Amino acid sequence: MSPGAVRGARARATGVAALPRPGGRHLLGRVLPLVLPLLFVALVWEACSRWAQTEEMPGLAEIGAAFVAILGSPRDLAGVSASLWRMAAGFALGLAIAVPVGLAMGRSPALARALNPITTMVYPVPKAALMPIIMLWFGIGDLSKVLVIFLGVSLPLLYHSYQGARSVDEKLVWSARAMGMRAAPRLVRIVLPGALPEVLLGCRVGIAMALITMVSSEMIARQDGAGELLFNALDMAVYPEVYAMILLIALIGLGLDFGFERLRRWLVRWSDTLQANDA
Amino acid sequence: MNRVRSSTAWYWLGSIWPVLLVLALWQGVTAGGLIGPQLLPSPLAIAERLVERLQQPEFLFQIGQTLIRLGLGFAIALVAGMLLGAAMALGGERWLGPLVRLLAPVPKIALYPGLVLLFGYGHASKVALVVADVVFPIIYATYHGMRSVQPKLVWSAQAAGAGAGATILGVLLPSATPSLLTGCRIGLVIACINVFLAEMISSTDGLGHLLIVAARSYQVVDMFVPLVLISLIGLCLASALQWLRNRLPAAAA
Repeated sequence: MSPGAVRGARARATGVAALPRPGGRHLLGRVLPLVLPLLFVALVWEACSRWAQTEEMPGLAEIGAAFVAILGSPRDLAGVSASLWRMAAGFALGLAIAVPVGLAMGRSPALARALNPITTMVYPVPKAALMPIIMLWFGIGDLSKVLVIFLGVSLPLLYHSYQGARSVDEKLVWSARAMGMRAAPRLVRIVLPGALPEVLLGCRVGIAMALITMVSSEMIARQDGAGELLFNALDMAVYPEVYAMILLIALIGLGLDFGFERLRRWLVRWSDTLQANDA
Repeated sequence: MNRVRSSTAWYWLGSIWPVLLVLALWQGVTAGGLIGPQLLPSPLAIAERLVERLQQPEFLFQIGQTLIRLGLGFAIALVAGMLLGAAMALGGERWLGPLVRLLAPVPKIALYPGLVLLFGYGHASKVALVVADVVFPIIYATYHGMRSVQPKLVWSAQAAGAGAGATILGVLLPSATPSLLTGCRIGLVIACINVFLAEMISSTDGLGHLLIVAARSYQVVDMFVPLVLISLIGLCLASALQWLRNRLPAAAA
């Protein structure tokens, strides 16, 4: 708690020393902020594992071997890729339904007044917990699993599309209307591009939610897929495999987030408003 | 006086009518026999069952188990998140930033089997899951809140002779409060959801476990009761924090 720390905080608060972007122009500068924390977590884990000496906390070598074994097993890979396909289907369904509804809410105050209280009520419902009820309705097949993921992703997509459509420049919409453009094309050609930066932020949250809903609903239903593999390893007491599956799912999560963030920055490179929006 | 009260009641009714409409439709469809009660019980039947269950000590014990995990996990996440967020805002960004950015997007629920291995099937693994998921919104809220302090406030405090500690406690922390309350609101809902899911995945007690028990014996009303209750708990906690944030003096907001 030195005076220097407070001075540092003040310098940042003025915005002069804005948040340094992770990494510079050099490749090393880009890669180090990713690799160093990874290395740190791995070292802490290995140290704890050597110190604890229990079966429940296997070392990195064992986890690595189990990881390679999972990647080499066609059955496990098929389960994981089936999960990823369901995730993509649920997310696509969310894009097709929640984004247009959210955009329409942003342009129509009456619709927003009607739907906002409902979204507020639905927001704290644990969506993956609906899995047993949805399975009761639609059976144990893929349909139930895709529907649960759809429910998990729709609220963030809806909310961000709504906020994005509200922030669209009114003059653009008026001009389009004055030139005789109808409501539906206006939504697609004026509102959607204007709201795109915010919609894409919603997509980023939605992708994270899709993975979380997928894993948790599969752990609850225990039918097949990544979540089932994860919990099966625990039930069979194959501890290194438990951690290897966790590592695989974490890497999928990080990879999707990293990849989508690059796509997002490229898609909205024309927009100056949301470039600085990190995290 | 009376007039004012009735007008707020009308305003309230005016804003929640869509929810009432959905509930009325749901009631109509189920009471009219379009959907059988073995698939979807009516909202009145669920409410009736919830009130009945709330009078049973065994059910209250299950709620207690869930609330203990929720409260303990949230409290630990709040303290740890505020300390880490403050450390990041006060110059630790270089060291903590990359680590937080790496761990924040990891789907925490996937860690749960590992947490069960490390902490057992009891309270500790659920509390650990809540901490792992809630700590990140709190870190970000504290960090962004403290970073957005108006510099003139810091200057005035220093000109008035405040030391580093007094500046942090007297200026930076109060200014970060609105942001922190928003972080807490998000964190509490995440905590409710995580506790419930963890109890569904592997537990011998708690509200989530009750849903699984009911699902095994196809007691559909009993499946809805814990789900409705945890959602109501999340909704109440979120509304309470929103209310608290709105009551902050305008200068702080």
